[in-house]
Amino acid sequence: MESTFDLAIIGGGPGGYLAAIRAAQLGGKVALVEMERIGGTCLNRGCIPTKTLFRNVEAYLLARRAGEFGVTLPGDPAVDFRRMIQRKNEVVNTLVEGVMKLLSGHRVQVYDGVGTILGGNAEGWRVGIKGKRGPTEVEEITARKVIIATGSVPSPVPMPGGDLPGVLTSRELLDLDHLPESMVIIGASVVGTEFASMFGNLGTKVTLLGRRTFLKDADEQLAARYKPILIRQGVTVDIGLEFKEIRPKDAGLEVVYDKGGVEKTASGEIILSSAGRWPYTDGLGLEALGIARQGRGIAVDEYLETNRPGIYAIGDVTGRKMLAHVAYYEGMVAAENAMGARRKTDYRVVPECIFTMPEIADVGLTERQAKEADIPYKVGRFPFSALGKALAVGETAGQVRIVCQAESGRVIGMHAMGPHASDIIAEGAMAMRLGATAQDIADTIHAHPTLPEATMEAALGVFGEPIHYRTAGGG
Amino acid sequence: MERPEYLETTVDKFVFRVMADRYYHESDTWAMDENGTVRVGGSDFLQKKNGDVAFVEPRARGTRVAQGEEFGQIETIKALVSLVSPVTGEIIEVNGELEARPELVNEDPYGEGWIVRIEAEDFARDRQKLLEPGDYFILMQEKIKEELGKKK
Repeated sequence: MESTFDLAIIGGGPGGYLAAIRAAQLGGKVALVEMERIGGTCLNRGCIPTKTLFRNVEAYLLARRAGEFGVTLPGDPAVDFRRMIQRKNEVVNTLVEGVMKLLSGHRVQVYDGVGTILGGNAEGWRVGIKGKRGPTEVEEITARKVIIATGSVPSPVPMPGGDLPGVLTSRELLDLDHLPESMVIIGASVVGTEFASMFGNLGTKVTLLGRRTFLKDADEQLAARYKPILIRQGVTVDIGLEFKEIRPKDAGLEVVYDKGGVEKTASGEIILSSAGRWPYTDGLGLEALGIARQGRGIAVDEYLETNRPGIYAIGDVTGRKMLAHVAYYEGMVAAENAMGARRKTDYRVVPECIFTMPEIADVGLTERQAKEADIPYKVGRFPFSALGKALAVGETAGQVRIVCQAESGRVIGMHAMGPHASDIIAEGAMAMRLGATAQDIADTIHAHPTLPEATMEAALGVFGEPIHYRTAGGG
Repeated sequence: MERPEYLETTVDKFVFRVMADRYYHESDTWAMDENGTVRVGGSDFLQKKNGDVAFVEPRARGTRVAQGEEFGQIETIKALVSLVSPVTGEIIEVNGELEARPELVNEDPYGEGWIVRIEAEDFARDRQKLLEPGDYFILMQEKIKEELGKKK
């Protein structure tokens, strides 16, 4: 087999496989090294599986509300958790196979194993590939350029007892063979809160514990509005505490924590640790190469190149924004740069979505961030409860908020909670990218009846009043 | 405890109450003196007119507000409602229970649905500009008529 390449990519997650395809499109001869399964965390254990489950939960909730929509079911709907997991696996398999076909269609050579950068030679970088399964010899390839895209792994449970059986990460949780009766979730940020919302709605008795802030990655205005919804869905939320330990309790486990000097416990059949993720750099050989680090991640410049020329790093392994769509973007930029371009990264507009029920999505500055940056701003808001389409769909919780610069009216942030918030945030991202004003959004004819009309109404709200919602003085 | 008295009127199928044990601002908030600190909330009319409360957003503890100024907002399914302070002073407590249960403003506007407590500068002075329950009851009936007129 030919073993000299223009580009070798270590890690086949969203950043890595996209970089491979992009470089191939640009005429490069590409090798992609993956130690597990193409698609990485996103396709196999993160974004896609959780959103498939999310849809399963939605189907269940809708079935429970069938009567409201004039649909009579023969009995009460019930959760078939095995089928839910099975459907998740089917979707994941379809997508992974699709990506594999794309890669082979672009003649990307896929290697199964752990990649190590062994050092440089006259033609570029030598990459060793060691099969993960069984005693295989190290295969060696040479590539002019290398992109490291090895992603991240769940960080260790931050207390004693974290290695007890029954303490799971999202990875194991997504392959449970039954719906747990009860669970304690450690970490009330995006992943923990998404699982709390999903399992809470399926009927699991969920306790969500957070050290400092509830849903710190979301706009605080929306987080404050979401918290009571989550509590009403049956989830117990406790925030502002120090974790002590996990210990066995009856047939399950309990988390011991300190809240304001008082020892408290929360018990469950399983414990989900969602206390963050760490960049994954095992076996890359970074130390021997002298590749500079940034915290636990790999340091890169604005071209995504490390301190060793010709070696790039993208996605979670850089330890910055751990989002699949950021990895996609970086994969594009790094691939083009590896193939000879000089493209700089630009992170001014990065939407973030939280798949709770309802969804929450943010792009740009929150009101608090605008205040902290001394930017005079105005806010317009519009609730879904006043929107025809949301009423028709039967999903009225939440609102859209648009933050814009007071004087110019330029949109500097958009924040949404509600039905398909993750879809409608794209308009705010586009507005920010183009430097559009709230007036531009308000002046754009939005199709009726659709959910993005809430964005148009919120934009109108910046200048005084939306059409379909009153801003009233008392009385 | 003996149930405090109230004034009541029924319009269509809706019952509107005005508690007799407190004072009212013409913008439909109430003030109840509790030995110098004043408990503040919205009237029954305010909540019925604006519908189910989705979120209560009082200004932060420590904020100084003047009589007639906004001390917070409530988001209901129909409107974003500005809450007008019946007194001048500093907000010393906000009703934390409303974070998780904003519906208390609808269910119990004069009791558990109170919104803030204000350390009043001079309640005796502020009171002069507030309405006695009987007077607010008359004003409220006019407002109800006006609302009905709008619908016709």
